[in-house]
Amino acid sequence: MLLILIRRELLANLMTFRFLVAMVVTLSLVVANTVVLIADYERRLTSYSTAAQQHSQEVSNASTYSRIKILVDRPPNPLSIFNAGLDRRLGNSINFRHALVPTLWDTESHSADNPFLNLFSSVDLILIFQVILSLLALLFAHDAIAGEREAGTLRLTMANPVSRPVILLAKYISAMACLMLPVIMSLLLVLILFSISGSILLSGDDWLRIGGILLISIIYLSAFYLIGLLTSVITRRAATALMLSMVIWSTLVLIYPSLSVFAVNRLSDTSSHLESAYREIEQVWEDFERERMDFLRNDAVEGEDRDFNVFGAGTWSAPHISDPITLKYSKAETCSRSIKPNAELLVPHVKAYFQFSEPRRIRAAERTWQIRQKTLDQVHIRKADLAKNLMRFSPAAMYDFATEAWAGTDFHGIDDFITTVQQYRQTIIDYFYDKAAFSSRQWFATDPGNVNLSDFPQFSYHRADISTSTKHASGDIACLLLINIVLFMTTFLIFMRQEV
Amino acid sequence: MIWHITKRELYDHLNSLRFAFTMVLLLILMIVNAIGYLGEYKAQSAAYQKKVSASSDKMRSNADSLYNLLIAGPGTLYKKPSALSFCASSGEAFIPESADGVSDRSAMLPTRFSFKAMWRMEYPQSNPNLWNIMPDYTNVDWSDIVSVVLSLVAILFTFDAISSEQEHGTLRLILSNSVSRGTVLISKFLAALITISIPFFMAALINLFLLYTSGSISFGLSEWGRLGVIVLIALVYVSIFLALGLLISSRVSNSSTSLTILLLIWTVWVVLLPSTLGATTSGLQPTMTSDEFNARWQSLYQNLDAQYIRRRHDDKIPSREIPATEGTLFWAKYIAEDAKRSESLNEEHLNAQIAQIQLARSITRISPASSVQYAIESLAGTGFTRHVQFLAHVRRYADEFMAFLIETDRADPDSPNAIGPKEGTSQKPVRFESIPKFEDRISFGGAYNAAATDLLLLLLFFVVLFAGAFLSFLRIDV
Repeated sequence: MLLILIRRELLANLMTFRFLVAMVVTLSLVVANTVVLIADYERRLTSYSTAAQQHSQEVSNASTYSRIKILVDRPPNPLSIFNAGLDRRLGNSINFRHALVPTLWDTESHSADNPFLNLFSSVDLILIFQVILSLLALLFAHDAIAGEREAGTLRLTMANPVSRPVILLAKYISAMACLMLPVIMSLLLVLILFSISGSILLSGDDWLRIGGILLISIIYLSAFYLIGLLTSVITRRAATALMLSMVIWSTLVLIYPSLSVFAVNRLSDTSSHLESAYREIEQVWEDFERERMDFLRNDAVEGEDRDFNVFGAGTWSAPHISDPITLKYSKAETCSRSIKPNAELLVPHVKAYFQFSEPRRIRAAERTWQIRQKTLDQVHIRKADLAKNLMRFSPAAMYDFATEAWAGTDFHGIDDFITTVQQYRQTIIDYFYDKAAFSSRQWFATDPGNVNLSDFPQFSYHRADISTSTKHASGDIACLLLINIVLFMTTFLIFMRQEV
Repeated sequence: MIWHITKRELYDHLNSLRFAFTMVLLLILMIVNAIGYLGEYKAQSAAYQKKVSASSDKMRSNADSLYNLLIAGPGTLYKKPSALSFCASSGEAFIPESADGVSDRSAMLPTRFSFKAMWRMEYPQSNPNLWNIMPDYTNVDWSDIVSVVLSLVAILFTFDAISSEQEHGTLRLILSNSVSRGTVLISKFLAALITISIPFFMAALINLFLLYTSGSISFGLSEWGRLGVIVLIALVYVSIFLALGLLISSRVSNSSTSLTILLLIWTVWVVLLPSTLGATTSGLQPTMTSDEFNARWQSLYQNLDAQYIRRRHDDKIPSREIPATEGTLFWAKYIAEDAKRSESLNEEHLNAQIAQIQLARSITRISPASSVQYAIESLAGTGFTRHVQFLAHVRRYADEFMAFLIETDRADPDSPNAIGPKEGTSQKPVRFESIPKFEDRISFGGAYNAAATDLLLLLLFFVVLFAGAFLSFLRIDV
């Protein structure tokens, strides 16, 4: 009996005008956007590979150890086509020396083409599913019960030996089958376009991630179908049911998420945190500077100036970065100069100076980072988390976050990259210690020839594997499932006790 | 007769669930908007004043000699904040608030002499969104409330205007009286428009009341005028969707089908098209990437170096002799050329970016949601149009400032009048008061002109859709 009902419902759903229109709209939007998004991804990929090549070249050109400036780039994520998340927006290039622990707030962009383009909100495939398919789910659901009741066919069906749960289940299953059709077809079209473009290479992990996105899409659509079904059960007329579900839909999908982000953005003020942290950081560097000056003063050799009476031609610089807004603060000292022929005797003092100052510089940088991380977490990350948690009252936002996590374009995905860069910095410092670079002549002097960097550690970054993504997505998936169950139970109970 | 039917419809609407929903939703959104912008304008103005006075103090300290002014330039030029930013500020976060009239190569030019570079205009290129980890959603300001919420509400009020009367048979009853069909349609339209205006006006007044009594804004005549035009535009925009609703409602005999079709049209037209088209069409006219720009920059300086630096030019020595020697003139030309070339490259880059956005914007106007957004933005004095106007002011001022420098230098009898190198430029102090100051203002003529195109476009949409609704209602079989 269930099968007969499902078949009937399926036909009834598939033959409708709304299904046809929604299908055409979804597929054409998906195709048009995928083409644009693939082109955009290819552009970012080229820009990434030129930048990465150029930057690794720059490192190996350094003449002394102290001149080494590390430039690292973040590759674009191919799954950002599904959910752009933060992948395209946030900076994708970091440059730093050992005197700075890099964070997200030190990133720059190697492909900043037109800053005004941010005026147009970014589009991805999930946005299309999120808006159009949830609407389609409601369009299917609104007259499922109310429409049949109006037409009198519900009574007719019930006159047969069919139980009410079977009717409800048949409607649910067939509608979900119809809703999965556009999702699966769009995904297939996207994959076809991927393979035509040839620039997007998906790993085994990525296939699982796409599977995850498919799964969460189905759960999301089911939630909206059940919302529609519930309104259809409790209202008398199909048009009223549709209007009610439209009100709910527009609130949940369009209005509520914006409202919560707006409220959090406007009503939180955190500038005082920044000021006190900045003063603290300045203190750290003042302490360092004092220690350094003390060392120079107590040094056996006269002449605290930058020359040490040793250096000839070359470049010396002390790049000082300070930014009270991002709390970026570092003082480095780079030197690549020749040694005056008559000053050979003084070279050990210079070595001793750098051996004294550089480890302390590194320590100051790490202390700075601790203060910085704590404050910026409070200022930025907490604010974003608050906004996200507020938004989670809407299933649309949960869907967005879960797909973002699967695609690896969420904050954790970017943070993962930053952590890798920080580990890379540690590797470089270990390398310096291994080579006894701080106390070596090659830290500052050019006369032994360019420093040999053939065994300099290389940076490599791989996206976090799927288990991490699943961990971050699981909360939202569980919530969506819970919503589904609650809605289904409510609908079921109301429908069971209703007069026809 | 029109008034009769309108009144009947109006009572119907006012008692309905959708009216209550509209009321609640608009009130919530407008109050949240008011609270969000409560101290915003004051804080913005204070920050603006502070920055402007810091910039002018810097200029005052540079005024001790004309040469210093020539090197330092007018400093950073700031955009004046608008009192109506609560109406539309979605784009503000992504638009720079200043332009820099400074010398970027504060280091020496690569010559044998210690020449400093002359000032030139530079435009901020950094992406202000680079560290923004907040979820990506639109602001809650007037333009978003109007473009998304009011259009949806308009559809909800008209989807069954004709189809449900047809379903119930009341349409036949009405038409059996001596009423023309046109009258019926117009009165239905008017009733819906009035019904939507009531909660919109109430919410808007409460919003303004909150902002006004908290003292966060002070309105002049022109602000009220612009607000009036914004409300007018909102009503025209609502009318478009009312006409669309009437059109579909008279074509389809079943109200649930009518709502279905309307919703699909609305989603695509209002929600998806503006962002999709914006992203798609900006690819049609790509600008220089930062790499290309850097390459252009390099080649520009290579050219300049080949012309002036590579050869020794031992005979060209700047001096304070009057009239200017050949050497002084030569280096003056070099320094001017250096500034001019880099400025024109900056201009070109900026113009390409603006052209790209303008093309994309004109294509997104297919959706009235974009048109209304742009119109409200330009009237509120925020957003992209306003930024383009600001840049025009900046350019005009830059010319004025440079002309002032040249003129003042000419007036000095002790200067060789070869502006650029220290030797060729007047060293006399300049009276600070006589230096032209940059004062940004929101020009209303410009705002109205920019909004006029969008307003006309909206009217066109309305006329077409209403004519369609009229024709299809005339031909309907009751």
